[in-house]
Amino acid sequence: MSNQPFEGIKIAEFAWVVVGPSTSRYLADSGATVVKIESHKRMDTNRINGPFVNGIPTPDGSMFFGKHNPNKYSVSIDLRHPKGKEIAWRLIKWADIVTEAFSPGTMEKLGFGYEDVKKVRPDIIYFSSSMQGRGGPHSSYAGYGQNAVNFCGLTEITGWPDRLPSPPYGACSDYISCRFSAFALLSALAYRRRTGKGQYIDQSQFESTIQFMAVPIMDYQVNGKIMNRNGNRLPTAAPHGVFPSQGDDRWVAISVMDETQWHQFCRVIGNPALATEQKYATLAQRKKNEDELEKLVAGWTVRHTAAEVEQLLQSAGIPANCVEKPSDIYQDPQIEHRHYFTPLQHPFMGQQKYEAQECFLLSKTPRLLDRPSPCLGEHNEYVFKEFLKMTDDEIADCIVAGAITTEFTEKMTSSF
Amino acid sequence: MLGGKLFADAGGDVIQIEPPGGSASRIPPYYKNIQDPEKSLFWFVYNTNKRGITLNLQKPEGRELLKKLAAKADIILESSVAGYMDSIKLGYSDICKIKPDIIYASISPFGQTGPKSHFLASDLTSVASSGFLNACGDPDRAPVWIGFPQSGQYAGAEAAIGAMTAYWHRLNTGEGQFVDVSMQESNMSANMNTLQMWDVNKVEFNRVGAVSYVAATNVKQPIYFKCQDGFVMILALGGNPPYVPSSTKLVQWMEEEGMAPDWLKNLNWEVDYNAAVLKQELADKVGKAIEAFTLTKTKTQLYNEGAFERQILIAGVSNTKDITEDIQLKSRNFWTTITHPELGADVPYCGPFAPFSESPIEFKRRAPLIGEHNQEIYIGELGLTKADLTTLKDKGVI
Repeated sequence: MSNQPFEGIKIAEFAWVVVGPSTSRYLADSGATVVKIESHKRMDTNRINGPFVNGIPTPDGSMFFGKHNPNKYSVSIDLRHPKGKEIAWRLIKWADIVTEAFSPGTMEKLGFGYEDVKKVRPDIIYFSSSMQGRGGPHSSYAGYGQNAVNFCGLTEITGWPDRLPSPPYGACSDYISCRFSAFALLSALAYRRRTGKGQYIDQSQFESTIQFMAVPIMDYQVNGKIMNRNGNRLPTAAPHGVFPSQGDDRWVAISVMDETQWHQFCRVIGNPALATEQKYATLAQRKKNEDELEKLVAGWTVRHTAAEVEQLLQSAGIPANCVEKPSDIYQDPQIEHRHYFTPLQHPFMGQQKYEAQECFLLSKTPRLLDRPSPCLGEHNEYVFKEFLKMTDDEIADCIVAGAITTEFTEKMTSSF
Repeated sequence: MLGGKLFADAGGDVIQIEPPGGSASRIPPYYKNIQDPEKSLFWFVYNTNKRGITLNLQKPEGRELLKKLAAKADIILESSVAGYMDSIKLGYSDICKIKPDIIYASISPFGQTGPKSHFLASDLTSVASSGFLNACGDPDRAPVWIGFPQSGQYAGAEAAIGAMTAYWHRLNTGEGQFVDVSMQESNMSANMNTLQMWDVNKVEFNRVGAVSYVAATNVKQPIYFKCQDGFVMILALGGNPPYVPSSTKLVQWMEEEGMAPDWLKNLNWEVDYNAAVLKQELADKVGKAIEAFTLTKTKTQLYNEGAFERQILIAGVSNTKDITEDIQLKSRNFWTTITHPELGADVPYCGPFAPFSESPIEFKRRAPLIGEHNQEIYIGELGLTKADLTTLKDKGVI
């Protein structure tokens, strides 16, 4: 093992799906020890979400689960079983940080709520994450990020003014929330180091996500202006959009951010006189005639490949980028250069490429992925013996009693 | 600026440095729509709890002053073009000479090294480079971004996490280091599972618009519906839980209000509306029937009664007004205000990014005015005299 920043920091992860597991990954990729607590009755539900290796849904074959869980251990214990509870308590006592993302109230019912844990471990850092937080009339709201992007205001401002909104793909509220919670956990660790005090962080994903909407929200609250969707336009730049290029569904994003870039742009498209034409000579004029301007730009881009446009404009000092498709990402030389993907050998899935969670490179302690995502319960023996000092007999008893689960009771169905 | 805000909100002493005359980030929208760099809402939002000074890094005297500040700092955050800070001799290696344990975080479009490190990016082109843009929008038009720029915010948050990770390492070892943030990477995890779809099964995911798309049959199931004052999303899907019970409850609600046709009441959501067998014609028919119902109600009615009383998988497509009026945020006392004495107003702000029970975030000061803390910092903390300050001002350094 190298000398990673969070070596020695221990996390008991009851959290599942995206936000909690992505949050703990920031620490795991810099050396923290994370134990996922699942069971065959209640595994991380991302295990049933694809893509699956060979297209066959099985709990150990999902790379969607894989994406959020490399560098972690998995144990399978039944939290409703008295002996399972005992093991959970031992893990909680072992840990510096507890994370959970059940519906509010579930951990409390199981006897592992913050107040219970605090009595035993006053310095614990306890992180709960739910859609809308504890307390309040909508605390019980159940759902995924696919729901949250809507009430967080992201859908409303995405798409074309003459059409239905176009929801941003997937669950970006989850990927916004995990950034705030990771920073929150690190702040809480630093606070504990200074004061010896632990604390409770009750994240509402709603409240975290709308931080990324804070400016339009303030614009409504002080100016009464409601932001709507407007394609790819930006009030302070033109042309600013996504334009067609040669090939099947191939596009290129272009942003002409100031007057220098506008003049350069006209030169690159072989029409320098356009820059000073009255209709386009100033930003105000270009905004006024933006429909026409965009047609003109598209008329140029469509004669080139996206890569050509990107190259021509970048060389002239204008931001432009191919709209990269998933297959492009895996061939992007910059992604390759920074080793954003790490190939790791998974016991069931074979070699898989794992995405980085940390989008930064530390010069002395770079992000390190050295273990693949765990199979369900893969590390029962290792964790119980090495971390909890349980004996073989104790473990065997727990398996016989059903406190450590080893088999499924029902067949798994995949939702996508 | 967001990266620094996270530290400032969490109690750090953060000094925002801008060129004389004010930062280029003092952009619209403006307070009461009065175009004035001191009234930029963008500036207000990202600079809470910070102090601010002006400093011209293009002048040698300015660079010397930055070094003096760096000697007292734990962390430097910057987002200029890759290589620029090195070119003016204020890069990581330069600062290390005067403050060996400095943590120096740089945000750039593609990172500091590599074949694209010299590429320029806007927020839009950055989303394009991350693959996320490809996943958003209607299939018959260009891909679309989220209308308020997100990439820079992701990258700012990454810089804060990276600097905090480095800070922890410094607490353990005394060693500082360089933090190299890539905007391209920062927006990439939002792709959710589309990258893996390609890598694992060679399925190229492209945008599908406001529908739930069944790749195997090419059927588009409507899940966004017009209502009286906008749109709602209802996961009106079938096949298995949690969708079947939710859709069944939706039909019950429609029936209670006399808006469920007989064929819909008789529809078996588990069997007939199963994605494996579902035909486009039925999906469209169901969509039309649901929309006839949603058009009789407002977003709030559908959301409050549907999601909470009836346990239907529903979410309003909220705009900034709906978010402002949301009863959950109000009931958790999420919103806050910060006094802006020069505006004679308490300005409403989003509350904390996370609620800490022991060390709660406090909003002690609004974003700094241009050069507001020049005297306090240059004279009070760096030991300059009033005369020095006048000279520096005359030379255009501050």
